[in-house]
Amino acid sequence: MSPKKLFDIAIITGLLLGGGSVLLSYLGNPVNSGICLSCFLENIAGAMQLHNEVRMSYIRPELIGFVLGSFLVAKKTKRFRVTGGSSPVIRFFLGLFIILGCAVFIGCPIKMILRLAAGDLTAVAATAGLFAGVWMGTRYIRAGVALDRAGHLPAMNGYLFTLFAILLLVFFFLKPTFIVFGQKGPAALHAPWTVALAAGLIIGGFAQASGLCITGGIRNLFLVGEKTLFMGVIATLFSAFIVSLVTGQFHPGLHGQPASHLNHFWSFLAMVLVGLASTIIDGCPFRQIIKTGQGDVDAAITSFGMLLGAAIAVGWSLRATSAGPEFGGKIAVLAGLAMCLIIALNYRRPQGVRR
Amino acid sequence: MDWFQRIVLAALVVVLGATGWMLIDHELHAKRSPAHTTDPAMKLQQHYAELQRKNARIFAKVIALKESGKYDAAMNRLKTLMAKHGDNAYGYVLLARLEYAQGSLTNALHAYRKAVELDPDYVDKTTPLFIGTEIMDVITKSRGKINRERKLKPGDPKIRTAVNDIYYLQRRIAGGCE
Repeated sequence: MSPKKLFDIAIITGLLLGGGSVLLSYLGNPVNSGICLSCFLENIAGAMQLHNEVRMSYIRPELIGFVLGSFLVAKKTKRFRVTGGSSPVIRFFLGLFIILGCAVFIGCPIKMILRLAAGDLTAVAATAGLFAGVWMGTRYIRAGVALDRAGHLPAMNGYLFTLFAILLLVFFFLKPTFIVFGQKGPAALHAPWTVALAAGLIIGGFAQASGLCITGGIRNLFLVGEKTLFMGVIATLFSAFIVSLVTGQFHPGLHGQPASHLNHFWSFLAMVLVGLASTIIDGCPFRQIIKTGQGDVDAAITSFGMLLGAAIAVGWSLRATSAGPEFGGKIAVLAGLAMCLIIALNYRRPQGVRR
Repeated sequence: MDWFQRIVLAALVVVLGATGWMLIDHELHAKRSPAHTTDPAMKLQQHYAELQRKNARIFAKVIALKESGKYDAAMNRLKTLMAKHGDNAYGYVLLARLEYAQGSLTNALHAYRKAVELDPDYVDKTTPLFIGTEIMDVITKSRGKINRERKLKPGDPKIRTAVNDIYYLQRRIAGGCE
């Protein structure tokens, strides 16, 4: 694909992602959480009874749409390549810690953008944290830190996460007895499933074609001054801001913001973890989910780590609430940062040497 | 296709067929069971109706005393009941209403916060327990006074707590994924 075309698709994806997210909130999803990977994973973990907070238990069709949309476009454009084997256990745990970082801030990088676009000034510290985390990640890369190289795997491996997404869709419709849908709280707040699934499919398809990634866009800007994906990030912010204004969801201020807290230090540090870990594993939570659809087994393992992270964030209270971060959440952020530092020590190779 | 593949394929067909049949049979039976025939939304409405009846029964005397303007007697009765039903969030809602009626805004806000922490349904628009509008009304009426007091007594821990309670309640009422 030509750089010009990729640039255009990244901007279109950003516009769809930002505007679509705010519209999903307008149509019933929780405020400022039209699309939030960490919230959605917490909801899905609850629906699968991996935690027992019924208020956070619902299968979000948007997330299934991301995987299926990405899969269909990857197949159509012959970009479905089954690869994996790059430090899988490390990726699993980094995926887990990324979601714990998101839970301490209360939102993934996409929700951070949505919160900013809706005038939530408590997201400013988190944005600074995410940029700082990605910047640290680029310093790691420059210093020679990189996980093992991925290799080609038998095709079957690449289909399993997509099958898992289809299974979740089956559960969504059949509602077997072991699947729990909450009738109150965030679980009761959802856009019509047809709209949610369609939004997921469209955004997932475009995200696969463009490679849009929130942390990837910032990383490319810091690392090589390349702006394609970053312009997609800006487009996400811009369209979310415009649609927030139009739909009356723009409420600027520091106080009274939904699902937020005033502990800016921990918001900052939590997003440092998210930025840094996402740079190490090459993609934010959204990008990881998109990559599962194109046959990336490492991303699938990361996504299962993210699902476990979502389950324990709620089940073990390793998160923040409106009252501020829980003690366990703070410890989880520090543990995640420690893991990133240990990886930096162990995975640094002399310049020019391929692992 | 050699004999090995033929055996594996046949076994696969048998396993998948058995799984499918068992799943369908199980779901059909589960759907017919009484636990599954009740609509979850209806079940939840029944739960709330029962909860409201129970609370009205426990706190009937307190409500009657409050309505007749006997705030001190109502407060004493409420404190006795709360000692017995410490985890009942409705006790804190009544406490907040009594404190507010007696002009103690900071205590009222703190009691509302306790109620919301114990049962988030009080700020959940999807439930019949929602009292977000009532809390916002109290916040709006108290904000001016608390801000004035904050300027007069900048380090006062009680005022600081009240301000934190206001911010907390505002965030919870605003909703979001929490």
